[in-house]
Order: sequence, then C-alpha cells, then structure tokens
Amino acid sequence: MPPLAGWTLWITGFVGKAPALDHVMRFLVNDFFIPLVICLIMLTLWLGYSDRTKRERIQRTIMNASVAIGISALFVKLINNFVNPWPRPFLVNDSVIRESARRAAETIFYFPHDPTFPSNGATIAFAAATGVWLGNRTAGAILYVLATLWAVARFYAGIHFFVDVAGGAVLGILTALFISKVFMPRVEPFPTWAMKLCRLLYLA
Amino acid sequence: MTLDYFILVFISSLGVYQIAAIPAKLDGLCFFRHPVIQYIFGMLAIIGVFGWFFTSTDRNIHTSVEGSQQLGLFLGSIIASYVFTAILSSIMQAKVNSQGSTPREGKQYDMGIETLKKTTLFGGIMSSLRRERKDKV
Repeated sequence: MPPLAGWTLWITGFVGKAPALDHVMRFLVNDFFIPLVICLIMLTLWLGYSDRTKRERIQRTIMNASVAIGISALFVKLINNFVNPWPRPFLVNDSVIRESARRAAETIFYFPHDPTFPSNGATIAFAAATGVWLGNRTAGAILYVLATLWAVARFYAGIHFFVDVAGGAVLGILTALFISKVFMPRVEPFPTWAMKLCRLLYLA
Repeated sequence: MTLDYFILVFISSLGVYQIAAIPAKLDGLCFFRHPVIQYIFGMLAIIGVFGWFFTSTDRNIHTSVEGSQQLGLFLGSIIASYVFTAILSSIMQAKVNSQGSTPREGKQYDMGIETLKKTTLFGGIMSSLRRERKDKV
C-alpha cells in the first residue's frame, strides 16, 4: 500500500452521494475529453498569432511541450517496466479500500489493469501545462487547471492513489522543465530544422 | 471507436483552424469573409462534435484507442483537417474571386503559414512554383 492510501477511502466515499458530481467526474475522467481539449488549446496557440516573431516563439514552446509529452510518456513506460510498487486501489489487499475503490471505478470509469504508478494521464497533462506555461502564462494556467481536474477525477474514480497522480504531476513538470530548458537548446539545430520543415509544408 | 475519435479530432480541429485564423489574419484558411460568422461556425463545429461524441454512446469503456494509437490518430486527423481546410478555402475563395472581387495574390516571398495571410494554399504553392521556374530561367 502506498503512503496516504487512506485518502482514497475518503474521496471514493463521495461517489454515489451526489449524482451531479458523479456525472461531471464521468465526463472529466475519460480518456478523450481533457487530453483533446489540451491538444486543441495547443493547436490554437500554434496558429493563433498574427505577428511572425511571436508566432515563431510560441511554436517553439508548443514543440517543446509536445516533445515533453512524448518523453514523459516514455519515462512512465520505463518506470512501469522496472517498478510496480503497488496495485490499483480496487485490487489492494485492504478490503475496505478495495471495495470502496471498486464501487467508485464501476460507477465513474472502468477497471484499467496497467500499472498505477505514476499516473500516465497526470504525467502528460502536467508536462503539457508546464511546457506551455513557459511560453504563455495564461494558456499555461488554463492547462494546469485542466491537468488538475483530470488528476482529481482519476483519484475520485478510484483508479489511482493520491501518490500516483502527485508522482505523475511531479514527473511531468520536471520532464517539461528539463526538455524546455536543457534538452531542446542542446540539440540545436534539429528543432530549427524541424521548424523549417513545417514551414516548407505550410504547417508553421 | 477509432473512426469516432478520428471524426471528433477532424471536426474539432476544423473549428479551431477557423477560430485561430481570425486573430492570426490567415485569410487563406478562412471559409467565410465575416469573422463573426467564421467564429460562430468554428464554435458550433467544436461544440457540436464534442456533443455528438460524448452523448452518442458511453465513452468510459476500455478501448484500443489509447496511448500511442491515440497520438497517431490525433496527428493524422489534425493534418487531414488542415489539408481539407486549405483545399476547401482555396476552392471557396477562388469561386468568390471569380465573381468579381480582386484576388489577393501576386508575388510573395513569405514562407509557411505566413503566406496564407495573402493568398490561399493553392495560391501559395502556385506562387512558389512560378518563382522557382523564374529563378531557373
């Protein structure tokens, strides 16, 4: 059992008590809604500037954020291959937590069976938010809100422990900072060539 | 589910292109001449397709569309949508221009989407081809 496992019992206890909240959470937790909204915001930023200099700067930011998403997803896969410290909340030995999480997952989501730590969703959402935040504070703040909502919804649905989503968020943030501040400047001129290719294809 | 997701991304990104083209002044991507109509069209496309996707069936089920497949579908879909937008706006603007208004084309040496401020995608490609031919001569 991970640290703070009792928090799962507390949050999944709300499931079924407020149908409206459950409905909202069913919408927020799914695999398509928040990831797609995040990507569409990034797409809007990619195209939405009239000034060429500003647009090129934000396109660099979006490229860094996209690379950060990819690399952070890779980190999650690597961690999953070597470390699988605890099962999903609905599979743990503690019967009280297990039953509460099972009921929540059944009501809100479904039963995923891939490793739980770190949360893949929280990792990529926070990587995207941090990557974008470095180039556009307002859009970054909106993405942080979306990432937090997604992480909370997954915690509420009983498919992750608090440590899973918090660990995913930290991993995503650190990866995005590393990619944007260290990795991408060091691998020049490849990002510049990628931008030139996009420009040649009328994509940037 | 795969086709549904492709349609969701295709139409929602179509809406995003229409909305983003307004502040970016990318006339070459616009379906409409009036920004308000264009904005309404973009919003309706996004809200409509999200409404359809999430109300037509239960999406909180385990599917094969996850991880790398979701990313691949997303990229394929936004590029397909971009090409569709560029082609449709080229056709629509050619039709409008042939009905009397002055086409916004001619020599341009901008690269990439900057070109779409002055001309359509077809216009941009034709212009760069002409320029290359002239350079060879």
